[in-house]
Amino acid sequence: MTNTTNTRVPAARTPARTAAPAPAAVRPGLRERGARWMAALFLVPTVIGIVAFTVVPIAGSVVLSLFHWNVIDPPRFAGASNYGEVFGDRTVLVSFRNTLVFMVLAVALQLVIALVLAITVDGRMPVWLRSAFRSAFFFPLVLSAASISVVMKYLFNQDFGVVNWLLGLVGIAPVPWLTSEHAAMAAVVLVYVWQQFGFSFLLFVGGLNNIPKEVHEAAALDGATGLRKHLSVTLPLLSPTLLVASVVGIINALQVFEQPYVLTDGGPGDSTRTVVMVIYETAFEQLRFGEASAVGVLLFVLIMAVTALQFRLSRRFVHYQ
Amino acid sequence: MTDSLLPRRSLLRYGAYGAAAAAVAGTAASWDRLTGADIPGRDDGSLVVATLGSAFSPDGVRALLDGFRKLHPDIKVRVNAVQAVDWSDFFAKILTQIAAGTAPDLVYVATEGVQLFARRLGVALDTWVKRDAAELREYFADVHPSLVESMMYEGSLYQLPIEFNAADIYLNTQVLRRAGAGFPDADWTRDDFTALLRRMKRASDSHFTPYFWTNRLWGGVVPWLFANGTNLLAESRAPGGDWLWDAFYPAGRRQGRGGGFRWTTPQATDDRVEEVYDYLASLVRDGLCTRPEGGNGQNLIGVFSTGRVGVTPAGGFWAGGLHLAGMRPDGFDVQYFPRWRTHRMQYGAAGYAMLRTSRQQDAAWEFIKYSARRDTLTRLFTTNQTTPARRSMLDAGRYRETGPAHWRVFYDTLDAFPGTGPIPAPPQVAEVEQVLLKHTGTALASPRAVRPALRRMQGDLERAMEREL
Amino acid sequence: MSQATLTLSRARHSLAPWARIAGLTVCALLTLGPVVWTVSTSLRTPAESFDLPPQIVPAHPTAEAYRGVFDQIDVWLLALNSTLVTALIAVGQMVTAGLAGYAFARLEFRFKKPLFGLVLATMMVPLQVTIVPVFLVLKSVGLTDTLLGLIVPAFPTAFGTFLMRQYFLGMPKDLGEAAMLDGAGPWRIFRSVYAPLAAPGLAIVGVLAFNYHWNEFFRPLILETSGQNYTLPLGLVSLQGNLGTGSLSVVLAGVVLSMIPAVVVFVVGQRPLREGITSAGVNR
Repeated sequence: MTNTTNTRVPAARTPARTAAPAPAAVRPGLRERGARWMAALFLVPTVIGIVAFTVVPIAGSVVLSLFHWNVIDPPRFAGASNYGEVFGDRTVLVSFRNTLVFMVLAVALQLVIALVLAITVDGRMPVWLRSAFRSAFFFPLVLSAASISVVMKYLFNQDFGVVNWLLGLVGIAPVPWLTSEHAAMAAVVLVYVWQQFGFSFLLFVGGLNNIPKEVHEAAALDGATGLRKHLSVTLPLLSPTLLVASVVGIINALQVFEQPYVLTDGGPGDSTRTVVMVIYETAFEQLRFGEASAVGVLLFVLIMAVTALQFRLSRRFVHYQ
Repeated sequence: MTDSLLPRRSLLRYGAYGAAAAAVAGTAASWDRLTGADIPGRDDGSLVVATLGSAFSPDGVRALLDGFRKLHPDIKVRVNAVQAVDWSDFFAKILTQIAAGTAPDLVYVATEGVQLFARRLGVALDTWVKRDAAELREYFADVHPSLVESMMYEGSLYQLPIEFNAADIYLNTQVLRRAGAGFPDADWTRDDFTALLRRMKRASDSHFTPYFWTNRLWGGVVPWLFANGTNLLAESRAPGGDWLWDAFYPAGRRQGRGGGFRWTTPQATDDRVEEVYDYLASLVRDGLCTRPEGGNGQNLIGVFSTGRVGVTPAGGFWAGGLHLAGMRPDGFDVQYFPRWRTHRMQYGAAGYAMLRTSRQQDAAWEFIKYSARRDTLTRLFTTNQTTPARRSMLDAGRYRETGPAHWRVFYDTLDAFPGTGPIPAPPQVAEVEQVLLKHTGTALASPRAVRPALRRMQGDLERAMEREL
Repeated sequence: MSQATLTLSRARHSLAPWARIAGLTVCALLTLGPVVWTVSTSLRTPAESFDLPPQIVPAHPTAEAYRGVFDQIDVWLLALNSTLVTALIAVGQMVTAGLAGYAFARLEFRFKKPLFGLVLATMMVPLQVTIVPVFLVLKSVGLTDTLLGLIVPAFPTAFGTFLMRQYFLGMPKDLGEAAMLDGAGPWRIFRSVYAPLAAPGLAIVGVLAFNYHWNEFFRPLILETSGQNYTLPLGLVSLQGNLGTGSLSVVLAGVVLSMIPAVVVFVVGQRPLREGITSAGVNR
């Protein structure tokens, strides 16, 4: 992929990418209709799939949330009472709080680690070494979250785990990672971030690659170096990438399930119980599918709201060149 | 850059074509696999038996099926080994099958689910048991009445227990020796227990915890509640059941038995329950005991077998597990749970439950009977992965290779202490268990947390028990 | 991990290269550590599983645990199921994402924006919210407890469609315009101009699909009820044994075995995978 040799400083894109699809002025009408048919045909598989396996199920969830249903007996209409029940349930409320806390911690940590590592890897070093680092940071992403959480459960064990042994080497007393409220949340966040930061890392590596050299040179001429250069020059240029990374990161973090399920089973108490865990337990363990659907609908609304808010905020902070 | 891209691109393209072609061919060749058409016995009227995948070895299942086919060549049977991490997970999958209209005829159900299934999905076995009484006499004579009673609900029998596990105390003999402590008496008390933990702690380094336990319904807090003469939910007995007791058990052994257990009013804030939590909290505080760890006890076997833990509650299933983990038969031993106000202990049992939706209930009954035969169980339980419900199967030969030396403790937990009973598992068990685990976690997470946690536990239990299920 | 990166955040490009490389090395070790521990513990005897400090190179290496895995579960059947499911999902996603991505990038039609928004919005729907209705949909077409029931619902892919759209947008527009001036219709423009260039992008979608669905646990757990239909991640659960009595080494050996195909795909497909994720964040 080539960059333009545009000399105006903050312009990195090829016209092909930025330009909207060409005006249809020259196209004959027949051809246009052909294209429309083709578009319809091309979209059929995706749209049918999404309607059948996402839109209809979401509608189904909304309907289900208005019923009491335990799989065994026919559903009974419940009106809004499931929502009342859900709002009165301390566990559900706590799970929403936990999920938000988890999201903030996990996404922030993940972005910071990824950004710092991406910038550091971008520095001068042998090509093979850079490639090796990139592979290493990316590797956890290919593993199964459930399996790796089983492994992490051993590593984070308070008395026999490798993590506390390592901390012991630098004189830190054993941390009850999985059995005390705050430490358990920290452990879940760490395990999650360990597996996920590679994703943001690669996004940032790509983003940095696309910042033209001229920008750095111009900044250097202005006397910007080191940290200041990154803060004032690199970050604004990376902001579109940052937006994508944080949107995807937040959407994923709000749906976290495997790590707390395996590591702590939501405990101690409710301290690491996430919304998706509550949905699973309410539906598949306690057979209260109506209430579970109500929680699901609320989570969906929350994710939509957070994402919308993000795009709204992004208008102020994201710089498109 | 463009030059080097070209060959790679075409390579990738051909790779993609190749993959697509292989996929098409593979799909065509495995159409039966994809649609499930190749699953033997699906929709062909086979008797479908659902078991918890991890409970039996593949060899055991094969032996189980072969034996049944030999006995009943006319009944087609298929075992569906359902993969699940624990019992509640397993029940969830069975219920999903029922929702999908692919319900099995028989389900392997542990104490955790006995009343749930009996109440909502199961068929009482009473008429068949009465009909085949002569044939079953030998079975009941070999099985402790408490196990049978734990499979009764409101006067009717729903399952024949074929295995059970009581929470006894496993001790690492190497740790005992290191502490210079002798093997505890059968009659040991809670205070003897505490003293032993202290001794072990003094004799070991910082990577050692005397008492390790898993926060779950079976073998967590409940054995301590039983030892202190209380329970999470008020326990009583349903009336009825005489038809069974009178027919199969002599007067001395049927005394006090009823129509099954009833677990009703939550009593988490009772003084004796508080005492138990205070005691466990004091053990945690003094570093004699781990904080409760959630999950299926996976960590436990590793840390116990390597001497990082001295004592832990477990049942007969651990003999096989420890052997598998490389422990020598004399590396560990087993004793009753210590006594406190009472010497009552707890267990969980399992057997096959018949579903109401089954259209071949007579065939299903034949399988239930077959599953409880001594030769069947002998073939199934080859590795001591559980305790057979039949007393006569526990002998020196069975435990020679795996240990423990005091294997008699397993069945004597019932025989010598007839009051020993099942873990509390009303039909609302899933929620009750979750509430128990959750608040136990908080109660013992920090000092002074016991009382508020128990108050919340009580409130949540009350709500759970009120729920119609 | 955080400790190490905190110090790093103060790093600058002007920092000595060796310091940067040392810091990165520490981070890389922390990242790969758990994996190394898993592999080495699976090669140790159960009695040595918990040794501290952990022996990275086992003192008495043994493949006993791997034999245990093959004894306890039908690895070949599970792997066959997993391969079928994963490969078909990958191919299916390449088709749906390739077509839809092209339509969104290069074709004009009504409701384009809202439709694209709808596709992206599916990323926000947690699996656990829709699984019960999905289950009912599958039941109505007779696909519960079949491998197809696992495969077909996974065909539409929001992220894949997004990627392919970016990919097609990144191709020079003049190619298609030149073909159009030569009298090529929209189908020929797609068929002979753009589609051939899309292979690397499709490879990205395929690798991502493989990576995700090979490790997938929740959907198979709920949708597949017969043992014959289990995928590898489900089968591994039974290694944990009745009430957790399985041997740790065997459990970890199972984890390592299930990692192998993912690692192979990682090595082979690393580049498209990296490019894919990278390009998602660059273009808009």
